Amino acid sequence: MSATVYTHRWLLASFVRRELGTRYAGSVSGAAWALLHPLALLAVYAFIFTTVFRVQLPLGAGGASYTAFAAVMLWPWIMFSEGVTRGMESIQSNAGLIRKVAFPHALLVYAAVVSSFAVHALGFVAVLVVLAVLGEPVHLVRAPLTLAFLVPLAIAAVGVAAVLAALQTLLKDVGQVVSIGLTVLFYGTPILYPLAFVPDSMRPWMAANPLTGMAERLREVLLTGGGLVPGDLWLWVIALAVAWAGLRFFERLSPHFEDFL
Amino acid sequence: MSRPFSRVTPVAADADASVLVALEGVGKDYPKVSAGGDRLRTLWGLLAGHADIPRFRALQGVSASVRRGESLGLVGENGAGKSTLLKIIAGVVKPSAGSVRVAGRIGALLELGSGFHPEYTGRENIYLAAALMGLSRRETREKVDAIIAFADIGQHIEEPIKHYSSGMAVRLGFAVATALTPDILITDEVLAVGDESFQKKCIRWLERYLGDGGTLLPCSHSMYHVQTLCSRAMWLHEGAVRLDGDSFDVTREYLTYHEEKGRGEKPAPRAAEGLVPLIRAMRVERADGTALEVLSAGDDMVLQGLAWSPDGRAPVLLFGIVRADGTPVYGAHSNDDGFEPLRVDEHHFAFSAHFPAPGLLPGKYAVRVHALDPEGLRLFDTQERQIVVTGRTRDYGLVRLAHSWKAGTLRPGAAGTP
Repeated sequence: MSATVYTHRWLLASFVRRELGTRYAGSVSGAAWALLHPLALLAVYAFIFTTVFRVQLPLGAGGASYTAFAAVMLWPWIMFSEGVTRGMESIQSNAGLIRKVAFPHALLVYAAVVSSFAVHALGFVAVLVVLAVLGEPVHLVRAPLTLAFLVPLAIAAVGVAAVLAALQTLLKDVGQVVSIGLTVLFYGTPILYPLAFVPDSMRPWMAANPLTGMAERLREVLLTGGGLVPGDLWLWVIALAVAWAGLRFFERLSPHFEDFL
Repeated sequence: MSRPFSRVTPVAADADASVLVALEGVGKDYPKVSAGGDRLRTLWGLLAGHADIPRFRALQGVSASVRRGESLGLVGENGAGKSTLLKIIAGVVKPSAGSVRVAGRIGALLELGSGFHPEYTGRENIYLAAALMGLSRRETREKVDAIIAFADIGQHIEEPIKHYSSGMAVRLGFAVATALTPDILITDEVLAVGDESFQKKCIRWLERYLGDGGTLLPCSHSMYHVQTLCSRAMWLHEGAVRLDGDSFDVTREYLTYHEEKGRGEKPAPRAAEGLVPLIRAMRVERADGTALEVLSAGDDMVLQGLAWSPDGRAPVLLFGIVRADGTPVYGAHSNDDGFEPLRVDEHHFAFSAHFPAPGLLPGKYAVRVHALDPEGLRLFDTQERQIVVTGRTRDYGLVRLAHSWKAGTLRPGAAGTP
């Protein structure tokens, strides 16, 4: 994988540029949309959970407001779900290219994931800074440590997106299933609520989802100023395994993509 | 007549080092996927690696090798597998059977505007297309001016490709390919799209490219392009190689095939025996009396015939030469030419027609003899023989007309000049 990326770095750069360009260059307000979508979601969730349901966060949240609490995992989730969705569509939406030019098809998946992560990482930083300025207990010095979580998240997204892209190319109707699956995963991950709110009997099930541990750890690092622990390496192990398996599956089918597009 | 473009003859000795493309029994099956169940079964088959999935055969058993400096043109009907074969060589399609070995950098222009993004300007697309061909940003930046100059589409270079005409997109695509000077250039019917002056520019570029030892693999419906640019041609028919050889021979056979396919007219049925004039025997021969089936340029042709007349009066005879597709070339009546056939016995008349170096252009022809009544009004019988005319020429039409080129008498400003 790394060899492919290195040999074709100019092509990958070109694809990423194109991904970013097609999404924002054509529209009037440009990159503002990248920030606007998660901000709108955050506003809606904050309204529902603080004004309608009047949720009281447990003390472990370091005194942060619900908005700051939800924001910490909302942006990584959006990076992941958008990366997976766009990666899944990347083969089919570049059918014209695949039918006419020979290049490693996985580059399209990488570009989709990388561009989604890059765009929302910028939004994430902006939101964290604004929250800190507004007096939320956001530990900005700890922000670089989030890379230890976001990079494996991106690697895992590549693996998942690769499998889905291959399936989508051959079967066409994977998109519907995936959008349901992502919704279930979104609410099944403690993004909008702390794990402590989940009944004890359900917690082992929730903990089986690697994103659960990641959400908890991200909040520890950013909101209470915790450092990294050896257990965080598990995220890397899982992410690399997912990416390895996903790309193997993808490469097995990728020579046949042209037959189906 | 010599060909206008220099062509490099392949070096026969120390063969294998110079082979750029080697195809061994290449075949391609496309999966048939119409229903959803088919798709699932196909996916399963591909993952498990077994082959029992519904398939459509696009190509089978194609073997060929192309050496450096040699050019191989692909000809064939629509759906014969030309594009599939070019895509296999370009690495876009994985063959389902056989092996493909390619050495050197490939530049592929498969269909119009390969790899262009419609929302992007021409200039931005140059960077993308160059990256697809493996160039870095800096290398591209060095070449971008030359590419834009070659494409010569003026201010359109700053407009999105979606506003381009198909011709402009091809110009840009070709311009990018030229900047890379690949070892092998694959073009799928792209030369036909540009306008006259751009085609000339492309041909000039290709001529220099070939002269410098480049290798061209075009697919074209223009026999002119195949003949002028390629030393070899391969005729694909229903996914298999029908003929592989010298480009002139292959294109001639291919054109003949089309002539025969397009022929609607059938020779008239044999007339009733014993009541009307008939042609009893007919033969096409050389000046020395030997049978003639293949006529080379410069050979003489003689038509020998024996007519039968029911009442002993000499019938009027008519010969005609038609191309294999039925296009008449020439015909003449014996009575118009003032010829009386030789009476052999009471009913039989012998005749012959002599054609000194008939000047027919290469192709398949039918030579026919008809028997008419003595008044030359009603046609009763027809006999036909096929001949093949061989030779190499780029002349157009059916026959070579006697002509010669000389210095002209027109001068600038004279009547008749614009």
